[in-house]
Amino acid sequence: MSGEVSRQMSHVSEGSAMGSDGNSSEDLDEDDYYMDNYDDLDLDCPSKADDPEYFEYEPLQVIDAERMLNEEIETLCTTLKVNPSTAKMLLFGHNWNKEEIIDNYQRDPQGFLIESNLASRRKPDRLVGAKPVCSVCCREVNPDRFLSVACGHMFCRECWDMHFQTQIQDGITTGIECMAKECSILVPEDFVYEILTQPKLRDKYSKFSFNDLIKSHPRLRFCPGIDCAVIIKAKECKAKKVECEACGAVYCFKCGLNYHAPTDCAVVKKWLTKCEDDSETANYISAHTKDCPRCHVCIEKNGGCNHMQCPSCKCDFCWMCLGDWNNHGSEYYECSRYKENPNIAHESMHVQAREALKKYLFYYGRWENHARSLQLEEITRENIQTRTQKKVMNNEGTWIDWQYLFHAVALLKKCRYTLQYTYPYAYYMDKGSRKELFEYQQSQLESEVENLSWKVERAEIVDRGELENQMDIAEKRRQTLLKDFLEV
Amino acid sequence: MANIAEQRIKREFKEVVRSDEVAACNIKVELVNDTVTELRGEIGGPPDTAYEGGKFKLEINIPETYPFNPPQVKFVTKIWHPNISSVTGAICLDILKDQWAAAMTLRTVLLSLQALLAAAEPDDPQDAVVAQQYKDNNDIFQRTARHWTTAYAQGPTKDKELEDKIGNMKSMGFDEHKARVALSTKDWDVTKAAEYLIGQ
Repeated sequence: MSGEVSRQMSHVSEGSAMGSDGNSSEDLDEDDYYMDNYDDLDLDCPSKADDPEYFEYEPLQVIDAERMLNEEIETLCTTLKVNPSTAKMLLFGHNWNKEEIIDNYQRDPQGFLIESNLASRRKPDRLVGAKPVCSVCCREVNPDRFLSVACGHMFCRECWDMHFQTQIQDGITTGIECMAKECSILVPEDFVYEILTQPKLRDKYSKFSFNDLIKSHPRLRFCPGIDCAVIIKAKECKAKKVECEACGAVYCFKCGLNYHAPTDCAVVKKWLTKCEDDSETANYISAHTKDCPRCHVCIEKNGGCNHMQCPSCKCDFCWMCLGDWNNHGSEYYECSRYKENPNIAHESMHVQAREALKKYLFYYGRWENHARSLQLEEITRENIQTRTQKKVMNNEGTWIDWQYLFHAVALLKKCRYTLQYTYPYAYYMDKGSRKELFEYQQSQLESEVENLSWKVERAEIVDRGELENQMDIAEKRRQTLLKDFLEV
Repeated sequence: MANIAEQRIKREFKEVVRSDEVAACNIKVELVNDTVTELRGEIGGPPDTAYEGGKFKLEINIPETYPFNPPQVKFVTKIWHPNISSVTGAICLDILKDQWAAAMTLRTVLLSLQALLAAAEPDDPQDAVVAQQYKDNNDIFQRTARHWTTAYAQGPTKDKELEDKIGNMKSMGFDEHKARVALSTKDWDVTKAAEYLIGQ
């Protein structure tokens, strides 16, 4: 059986970037299944160099992140011989790209600071008279109360203080600018701290500007989990999967949304917005029950698997396309492929709009369906847990003996998750051979995911070897698709 | 804080009301009551634009945190312009939002608004319908804007054809302002405008 599997595999990966790793990856895969926690979605072993989802990251506490930022700031201070305030602003304004900052600064220090809104060629304002008028508050103020930042626009201390207060209340800190008209010179933090009187606002300033720094740093991200204080530090800013140890949130490092491979950040955002706008229509059109294609008995879907068997007439069909299930295992499996109307360009606007809606509903339906299946598979997991507990109590094997079932559900969920996120990718793909290849791999993945789901739901009567074999096939399909289409 | 705001407004008041400025730039500010938080402004439509000859009234509210926060300004006079709502008079202008600087004054605001009338920014619209017309059908936009200036801001130019169309709609029983809005929105197609009003 397994020999057959690998032959199928090499067929799939023909012309792909998979290359020569056939054997070694298989061994490693097998290790994965036994090494991880059963309740863990992530079965990856992060040392795999050929894993398309491989990503190095570590969780930091606020204090560690602070230390890390300070170290980066200090390095720049010593190299450029500038003060920490300026170094911070430079890093913030230039994507924390130290090399680029040092290069540019050493080429032309003054020019670079001007370009960064931290210096100006303007001559400082000359204060006239014994009690010059501050142009913001229009009061006469002692000359020694006047202050300015790099641009030399003079305002009184009270006005600066008020300016900072209003800006901080609006959540602006690192971006605070001079008060003069059309002046974009930035106010460095030492100047703010020198003037800002209220202790509460000083705290706010320091907190908000720390947040600004983290958000501007390409290799750091606040964990988007609810009430989670962890900051994730990654080696590079890529659209890869992060799983927070503290709160369990799984998300994309680059955009912070739910992890979405193989779809990229921009496309998934577009898709989610579209779904939000159109979901009412889609909900209305896609009903929650379907009729058996043969005996027309009404069937409600209560498991994740899309391979349906009618309880009444026992015919096997696909929940998505209502087609005969027997065709789904073969080359002709086309359920996941949307067939575009070839004459669409010649049709009227009305027909085109209908066609667009039809196309969207096709992809949305599959997207939604897999999302629902994922939820239902959580129930399957709970059922397995209850049954396993019973078995262990009745001395039918030990807890460890049944662990493979949990591995199977975890892997199933992981594969289905990726499958779900292939639909937005396909929706926005241009027609052509690449889309054909994608849809081919997608359909292969889909068919193996459904096979796995079918076997997991019937785990007690399915042979363990057969189940593990199916797990291997499904994961291979997933990996193959990601290797070819996950662009990061 | 309010103290600063009051002091500033009083001083600015002198600045804007100075007669040579009024003559040169065609701008005005006046008090509505004895507080400085509510003001009324007026700007003249800039020459060689569809707003020429019109007088546009503005409602100006001074926040307590002025001048550290911008004044809130909106058009009271109805106006057909991509960056000003034809319904509410709300204005989309950067210096009234994040580009405000404490050293700016009411005079700068009014002059900027005048400049906005002379040079619309249809890619940053407040009124999507107007902005679309500005981009797709600029001739009709210019005519419509001129007509609104005459109808609401005492502008000098009469456009008989457009007025006849409004008269036509009025005789069908529609309210004059609603008819003008509908006709303006539907590029002065009487049938479409009537359908639009009935469909509402």
